[in-house]
Amino acid sequence: MVHALHEVHRVLAPGGVLIDARPDSRVAASIERGRRRRFQVFGSVRTNRVELANDRASDLAISRVVEEGLFRRRRRGRFWHRVPFASLPELRVYLREHLRFVHRARWVVDEATRRRYVNDQFVIRRAVRFELLEKTANA
Amino acid sequence: MGYHLTCDVGKHVPSVSSILRPDPLHELGEWGGEELVRRKRLLDLGCGDGRFALGVARLASSVEGLDPDEGAIAAAKKTVHRSGVTNVRFAVGAAQQLPYADAAFDVVLLSWTL
Repeated sequence: MVHALHEVHRVLAPGGVLIDARPDSRVAASIERGRRRRFQVFGSVRTNRVELANDRASDLAISRVVEEGLFRRRRRGRFWHRVPFASLPELRVYLREHLRFVHRARWVVDEATRRRYVNDQFVIRRAVRFELLEKTANA
Repeated sequence: MGYHLTCDVGKHVPSVSSILRPDPLHELGEWGGEELVRRKRLLDLGCGDGRFALGVARLASSVEGLDPDEGAIAAAKKTVHRSGVTNVRFAVGAAQQLPYADAAFDVVLLSWTL
């Protein structure tokens, strides 16, 4: 990853900007049932261990190129993104095949409630983090 | 395939489907707005099927998309051809060896890639 960031540094013009955006694995995504304009939390789903390790490695790679003086941190933040599903079974299929999430949700509602609303619309609400880094002039 | 899970991501692992990702202009708005890419030379690393590159093409002066997934790049090229956009190009490649000259870009994007 550090090597890739060195390449990014090479192809950026002086003062150019690197945008690093990715899902924020430090925050659990929530499973919510859509109720007109409102959402009811049904559970949460975490990122799997391999992806957590990948994210930590990415963080370390960014920190390293900042320490090397290649980039300067300019701005960072987080926003929320909703992934929609037509029903709870559709959401479960998505989770089963997902590369980042663990395949089982942690429910905060009982099974009877989940069965009652099984054909309602659901969303996975996940955090996306971003950081803008500027190529330093003296690098 | 014997690759190291934490070091070779982006080199061997193709980007996942972009269908369920945020809208490009919404994402751009969250990062700081259209000025970030307006009239800029943009490189979208790990561009997948070109979701973001094509979404912001009208703002940027030029957009290059690079991804190790040949299928995704083929799909992106088809979309470019259909849409008639002229300032976007896609290529297959890895972030570890960028096929571009020094200082060729004003903005490099790693969207769900690093």
